[in-house]
Amino acid sequence: MNRIKIINSLLFLPLILLTGCKKEEVVDTKQPGTVEIEFDNIALINNVPIQLQLASPGSTEYPYENAMGQQFNINLLRYFISKIELTGPNGESFTDPVSAAAAGTKGYYLIDESDVNSQFVQLKDVPAGTYTKLTFTLGVDVDGVQEGAVGGILDPATNHMFWNWNSGYIAVKMEGQSDASNGGVSGTETLEGGSDHGIAYHVGGWKDIPNSAFVYNNKRMSFDFDVDLKVERLEQPHVHMYFDVLKLFSGVNSVDFTGNHNIHKPIDGVPVAENMEHAFQYDHIHQ
Amino acid sequence: MKKNTILGFGVLLLLQSCVKNPLSGPDDTYAFRMPDYFPEPTYTFANNPITREGFTLGKKLFNDPLLSSDNSIACSNCHVKSVAFTDPQHRLSLGVDERAGIRNAPSIVNMAFMPEFFWDGGVNHLDFVAINAIENPLEMNEKLGHVIAKLNDDPDYPALFRQTFGIQDTITSPYFLHALSQYMLLLVSDRSKYDMVQQNKATFTAAEFAGQSVFENKCSSCHPAPLFTTYDYTNNGLDTAFEDLGRGRITEATMDQGKFKIPTLRNVALTSPYMHDGRFKTLDAVLEHYDQHMVLSPSLDPLFLQSDPPGIRLTADEKEQLKAFLQTLTDYELLKDPIF
Repeated sequence: MNRIKIINSLLFLPLILLTGCKKEEVVDTKQPGTVEIEFDNIALINNVPIQLQLASPGSTEYPYENAMGQQFNINLLRYFISKIELTGPNGESFTDPVSAAAAGTKGYYLIDESDVNSQFVQLKDVPAGTYTKLTFTLGVDVDGVQEGAVGGILDPATNHMFWNWNSGYIAVKMEGQSDASNGGVSGTETLEGGSDHGIAYHVGGWKDIPNSAFVYNNKRMSFDFDVDLKVERLEQPHVHMYFDVLKLFSGVNSVDFTGNHNIHKPIDGVPVAENMEHAFQYDHIHQ
Repeated sequence: MKKNTILGFGVLLLLQSCVKNPLSGPDDTYAFRMPDYFPEPTYTFANNPITREGFTLGKKLFNDPLLSSDNSIACSNCHVKSVAFTDPQHRLSLGVDERAGIRNAPSIVNMAFMPEFFWDGGVNHLDFVAINAIENPLEMNEKLGHVIAKLNDDPDYPALFRQTFGIQDTITSPYFLHALSQYMLLLVSDRSKYDMVQQNKATFTAAEFAGQSVFENKCSSCHPAPLFTTYDYTNNGLDTAFEDLGRGRITEATMDQGKFKIPTLRNVALTSPYMHDGRFKTLDAVLEHYDQHMVLSPSLDPLFLQSDPPGIRLTADEKEQLKAFLQTLTDYELLKDPIF
């Protein structure tokens, strides 16, 4: 894309040189702009957002507490965002293009607490206008699974978010330790060898089959902004979203780290999945 | 660089064009073909068109023990060409360190038409099949990411992947999985005597003809032509309690416990041992099971309850006729085909 832009500008260079002396440069503000969305992973403690600190596997220092008073820490936190949309009061509408192929993917974002860059999503070519609502899906839906092997952020060899024995992508993956856990977790990235106090929540599920363990656990959610998001060329507005990890375990269902701490399949992940949409929160916009 | 290559080929073409046989049509050896009485394939060919290079690379990968953790086991260890890509030696297939798996290696022919994969149907797409075998600790005991790293370190594979898929950089997993799929997709079993009869190129013997009639009356609800399976999951009365929950392991539905995917009967005369755990060594034992030895359990397929005791009553003559018919499903042309 960038290369094409450069080539295009080189082609037009003589034209610009010829006409440059006559024309004033005028920026057409009605041209599409870029919007940045930050997914800021926090723990909301006493209504104060605290930046997450990842623990070393096996650590027994527990900075967080679930709704049942069980203390825990986090080794790993990662989730998929897809199908982002922005809409406005005057019919403004932007749908982030989504595609998946061996050569790469578009419109899928893997937010990883251990990688700051992953937490900033750039939406390009957003039509100029006013936007007041953000919508996205947490997880990878059927269209990312049914087409076979794809690359980019959905590459199953590199994202560590693919279930091999019951194919599909994990939507939210969290691993850590809790003093309330009696250990014995399996199939994890950070707790191999069996931590005495490991907790593992691998939550996902892209299809719903009644009376079975196939449960659709991805969540589509919308957030209204308190101020207008103005998009135009040369503006780079920034939407700041919070993801409160404590809500994963307390949103609508209180999750007990004793005996329910090794989650690896869709049906077992339902209580956390029902909490997931409560973990996200719109905070503010920088215009 | 690219321009030079194109010019280079141009010269080559000019030099060669005069010796080329004008009568030879396009080479369709590596095209996906099937008879008109087969159903539409389930595979997403648009995302992974089969080419000679892709198929050949897939064949190399299929036979390469690099895919396993200690470089000892290839796909072809348990999917042996001479017995229609199954495992003739082991009731439960052996992985690295001689680890016994929990199930018998199933036939992998006609997977282009399969809606779900493995005995329990946990995998939804052919491209993902290899991941399951590679990462199962009782099979190849490897990690997909590590296989890709080994391929990138190999002296030959990076160039082969670049030539095959036109990629610029290192090998990534979708191309690896696509190459394997290309090999497996062409394993279409459609050249058996049964198929020749369908195409009016051969006729059944009296015994085969009688066997077909028995088959259609007593077996074809679950094993209908032309693929000789519905690909559904069923409990065929092997056990009263289940060590291996089969489909129930995936769906966790009580009524799916003890159900396994109905296997194709194509090449069945060669694919001993039989059943998901390879418990029967011979077709005679299989037919005896259906005739006399089925046992009750809550998820037993109700079709078998039409008889008391449950099962499918077969006379001695019917069994011989059935075996004669089942022999006609052996696809010797596939097994001799040098491209595989």
